[in-house]
Amino acid sequence: MHSSCAAALLAPWARLANAALAAGDGVSSGAGSAAAPGRQAPNRGAAGDGIVLGTSAAFTGPSRGLGNELYRGAMAYFRQINDSGGINGRQITLKLYDDGYQPDPCVQNTLKLMLEDQVFLLFGYVGTPTVTRVLPMLKKFQEEQIYMFFPFTGAQPQREPPYGDFAFNLRASYRQETAGLVENFLATGRRRIAVFYQADAYGRSGWAGVRAALENHGETIAGEATYQRGSRFTGTMRAQVEILQRAAPDAVICVGAYAACAAFARDAIDLGLRVPIANLSFVGSENLVNLLSEGRDDPETYTRWLVNSQVVPSYEDESVPAVREYRELMARHNPQIPEQFLDDPYSPLPQSFVSLEGFVNAKLMCEIFRRFDGAPVRAGLEEAVFSIRDFDLGIGEQVSFGPERRQGLQRVYYTVVEDGRFVPLTDWNALPA
Amino acid sequence: MKVHKLFQRMRFGIFALFGLIVLSTSLLCIRTVDTELSAEYAANSESIAKTIADASVDILLNRNLATLQSLIDQFLEVQGIRYIYITDETGEFLAHTFVPGIPEVILESDPFRTEPVERSLPGMGDFLEVSSPILAGVAGTVHLGMDLDLVALKIQRAIGQQVYLISILLVVGILASIWLVNLVARPLAALLAYAVETARRPPEERALVVADEKLLERDDEVGQLARLILYMSRTRPPSDPEALPDPGAARSAA
Repeated sequence: MHSSCAAALLAPWARLANAALAAGDGVSSGAGSAAAPGRQAPNRGAAGDGIVLGTSAAFTGPSRGLGNELYRGAMAYFRQINDSGGINGRQITLKLYDDGYQPDPCVQNTLKLMLEDQVFLLFGYVGTPTVTRVLPMLKKFQEEQIYMFFPFTGAQPQREPPYGDFAFNLRASYRQETAGLVENFLATGRRRIAVFYQADAYGRSGWAGVRAALENHGETIAGEATYQRGSRFTGTMRAQVEILQRAAPDAVICVGAYAACAAFARDAIDLGLRVPIANLSFVGSENLVNLLSEGRDDPETYTRWLVNSQVVPSYEDESVPAVREYRELMARHNPQIPEQFLDDPYSPLPQSFVSLEGFVNAKLMCEIFRRFDGAPVRAGLEEAVFSIRDFDLGIGEQVSFGPERRQGLQRVYYTVVEDGRFVPLTDWNALPA
Repeated sequence: MKVHKLFQRMRFGIFALFGLIVLSTSLLCIRTVDTELSAEYAANSESIAKTIADASVDILLNRNLATLQSLIDQFLEVQGIRYIYITDETGEFLAHTFVPGIPEVILESDPFRTEPVERSLPGMGDFLEVSSPILAGVAGTVHLGMDLDLVALKIQRAIGQQVYLISILLVVGILASIWLVNLVARPLAALLAYAVETARRPPEERALVVADEKLLERDDEVGQLARLILYMSRTRPPSDPEALPDPGAARSAA
């Protein structure tokens, strides 16, 4: 199993893991009282001079672009914070494991992080099938008060009972993304919506979102086709395209990862299914476009049909303060993928929606740590998070949390590809027919 | 060897008996293994379907379809189970494991059916589909497809191992019977040779025929016969054939 401490953040986390929390530490007044009465949760991973966060994500395999970019975006911010002295003098360290976007390794990694590494909290997980399998573990170890922060998934299980209390989400949900796509398609007369989705919890989550949104308008899913998780761009999706062609859709919403969705878009256009092909934020937009355009005479042959929903603003939009900061810190620190994950070659992207999301995740995480006077304590985390009210992350939307609001951002952005770049979609009627 | 002819019928009888035993044992074995394993797989599948149905109630009532999908994906890892799908109380497909899509045969089937049914799905194979109602059927139904080809392969392998063992026993049995028959046949052949040699000689020279000492020393019927022939060869035959000893008396003497 791969593991690593982020290279530039070499706090001696093994020592930290064994260090005990000073009993009197608590949160600042801004976060209210420190710990809930009667709860004496252990506080490993956040004492002494560091805070250790645990991550299991896809750093290898067909979806490695997601884990790598989310990590790089987060590290750009964490490095900046550490270079400037840390949070209240404490350095932030990431303990990383690769799960290849597969549930079983993710469960094993999480057990290691919680029981052996004794990290302070779980941060930056990638994927619905992985996260949904980990959630019951958080409930099992609820006495330890280990929370999952800002997973890279918009699925419902970590937003609803019985596991919603163990996770904090920043991004908008797939339900919100799919609802927006459906409503915009319906508004422009595209009533026959088909779904191409990954045959797992992620795909089902998106499928359910599309179904619910259509139901609100008295419509049903026109057709559906699935693919196996881990499918590569070199594989064929012709069978799926043929299934959807029989449904004669006006638009297709894809709920998948970039390699499979790119293969689907390629085969759909080649086989004559020329309708808007929408993708959710999880897809990994830049990797999707790269696969579809690299080495082609006309790079827009396939990409002109794409409509991608995003949960962060465009990283090209420098009028957004957080985007300016993100671009500057990405350029300054240029975080690299840890060497142990480089068996599977990967070329980092200068900027991407995924790394921007990782960046704002890290930014909010640091803000939560700042709400503590001294060393953060697990027992005080929930109240520290709930103290975030109308907080300006710099992305044009205020972030708020509360007992009934465990998702910070609500906004969904829609983009299309122009000249190989994602730009905001301003006119849904202008989509190719 | 003429003496071996004496045992041909016996040998044929042994072969036939062993063959009958092997055939009947194999048939019984095939039937038992086939029935038992098929029943076990079907029972396991029904148990899994019921487990999913029981575990699905809260998830379905909460309309948490991602968790429902995660649940059935885990059961798909059980060997032999090739597909699972869940329909709601209206018959709508809420979660399934089919790639690239739900087969037409399934789409056209009765979603409320709970009796086991054998299905042949194009491109996928043959399946035994078992079903279990969720909340007595008012919340939906879990359907689970067990791969009959895989089950058949398992049964064939189990039967093959049993038949292999029985076949080895058959071969060992036949070889042992041949060895035992030969064990009896060999002294008989020697006795026959002695008798023929004695008969070939004129009566006055018969006493000169040398018998195999080992043959004469045997304490079984072959030895007794050999000693009888020796006795007869050394006894001058009476000029009056009427004076020949009574065969019954000879048997007694032997």
